Amino acid sequence: MQTVLIVDDEFGVAEVLQSILEDEGYRVVTAINGKQGLARLSEVHPDLVMLDFMMPIMDGTKMLAAMRADPSFADIPVVMMSSLDEASVRESSTQYTVFMRKPFRAAQVVQLVAKLLAR
Amino acid sequence: MITTTPTEDHRLARIPTGVPGLDDVLKGGFFEGAVYIIRGTPGAGKTILANQICFDHARNGGRALFVTLLAENHARMLQHLEQMSFYDAAFIPKQIYYVSAFRVLEENGLKGLMDLLRREMRAHEATILVLDGLIAVEETSTSDREFRKFIHELQAHAAAADCCTLLLTNGRRGEYHPEHTMVDGLITLEDVPYGKRRQRELEVRKFRGSSSLRGRHPFRITDDGLVVYPRPESRFLRNDATGTQQRLSTGIRQLDTMLNGGLIAGTITVVIGASGAGKTTLGSYFLGEASKAEPALHYGFYESPRQLIANAAVLGVNLEKKIQAGHLRIVWRPPVERILDSLGNEIIDEARAHKVKRLFIDGWGGFMASAESPDRVPSFFAAVANELRSLGVATMCAIETPNLVGPEVQIPVQGISAITENMILLRFTEYQARLYRVISILKARGGSFDPTLREFHISERGVELADSFESAERLLSGTGVRAPRIARKPPPARASRKSKSRRRG
Repeated sequence: MQTVLIVDDEFGVAEVLQSILEDEGYRVVTAINGKQGLARLSEVHPDLVMLDFMMPIMDGTKMLAAMRADPSFADIPVVMMSSLDEASVRESSTQYTVFMRKPFRAAQVVQLVAKLLAR
Repeated sequence: MITTTPTEDHRLARIPTGVPGLDDVLKGGFFEGAVYIIRGTPGAGKTILANQICFDHARNGGRALFVTLLAENHARMLQHLEQMSFYDAAFIPKQIYYVSAFRVLEENGLKGLMDLLRREMRAHEATILVLDGLIAVEETSTSDREFRKFIHELQAHAAAADCCTLLLTNGRRGEYHPEHTMVDGLITLEDVPYGKRRQRELEVRKFRGSSSLRGRHPFRITDDGLVVYPRPESRFLRNDATGTQQRLSTGIRQLDTMLNGGLIAGTITVVIGASGAGKTTLGSYFLGEASKAEPALHYGFYESPRQLIANAAVLGVNLEKKIQAGHLRIVWRPPVERILDSLGNEIIDEARAHKVKRLFIDGWGGFMASAESPDRVPSFFAAVANELRSLGVATMCAIETPNLVGPEVQIPVQGISAITENMILLRFTEYQARLYRVISILKARGGSFDPTLREFHISERGVELADSFESAERLLSGTGVRAPRIARKPPPARASRKSKSRRRG
């Protein structure tokens, strides 16, 4: 079973993503900030990370930089999520695989994750 | 002996809100490092207000941290904010940073939330912190004491970081809120019903370190965010009448003579009369005297600028030329549902911005239609009039009387005499199956005035006033044998003007 790690501080976002992806047969693990996300990463070695851009304690940009600096996680595809447009996000980071603007639709998420995990 | 020399200014610095009108209410804005509660029911405008303040702060080089504890997610909130003109994505995330602390509060309680706030304040060097959803903190607290302790600790961190903190809450407890005694200020936002209409109102219930404008100030939520209209009764308290005796012509020679030379600058004149009696006509003549030295403003509710200009032109008064020369402005506010306070503030702002010396307000009924309660209009007008006096504006305001014809004059305003210096009465009177107009001065500042009644006529020749009281006396006593006539010589005011037809007053 493929594993997706969702890292988002906002209540509701991770829950919705989790239910959508679990319905599609993925295993889903969540974290509420980048620091917690890095810890989960080591525990579960996910196939895909869905990462929020703005979070307390450690934001998405910092977590992504740490991931890319670690050979064990450098190749994991990352979906960067934000309420801002991609241009604003790209000023801080370009290391993600795909950008997804919030709010999103379930079908869009399913399609995107399936494509990235080549199902 | 130890002596200390003050080396720095210990006065608290202000953070302007950038919200139109609110800085006037707060007399400069919030204080750095202080904690304020903004309380209001859902939909009252708390989140928009707080975001508007953050964006203005960022625009001025500040940094804001917006922490939510509630269900509305940031994506939705930002989608809504994108519609507002103050929103600028370029400030996010470097100067405005949004985080959700709901989970932290759920998982780690008040201590976890406090740690997060403290760390994020420092990490983002925030000079404004917004905590949206204080109610969630209250619900998480096991006692009032624990909640108060949280507020107290937050105050200490905010003060140490010089971070102005805004706590947004619904305030479910009614009037008793223990936290209100602790914070530096409390602002409430309400949506108040007045009959079938509702009006949003903001009130500063507490504000440490400074006075603020008292009472409930109406506000609107517009595409530009909140616009607050400070209550004129609390904003315009000065009465620094200039004391000048400079006279301004009414534009009608005979009326100037009756007034002993015209209206004194900085005085308030009410022109009272029934519909069609000639109030607007008098106002047009008054504005027709606008000049570079005496800029004028027409503030009206009924006739559109186009109508007003056309009607005046018929009387030979060229308002268009005055507008083109930059000596006259016309502000038209059709009497739809409006906020009385916005009208008062607009009049004063216009008068200040354009150094207005002649103002005609047409008329009192527009204020009555906008007021949440008619009882309020006299005190509202008194406040606006005070400020106009202080600005040296000669103001003329039309008041319509309900009775068209008859010996009794009903002035639909209690106590109007106390708040105006000059009163001019226009009346219709019947004589031999015809209506005639009669003008009289009831009151005028500056000493003597001619108290006699004069017949006046609005005709193709413009406004013509009789040079003596005799025709009016015959009209009112009904003793005239022949139809009364206005003496044609000496020529009436503005006799050179060509006009085509009568017009309404």
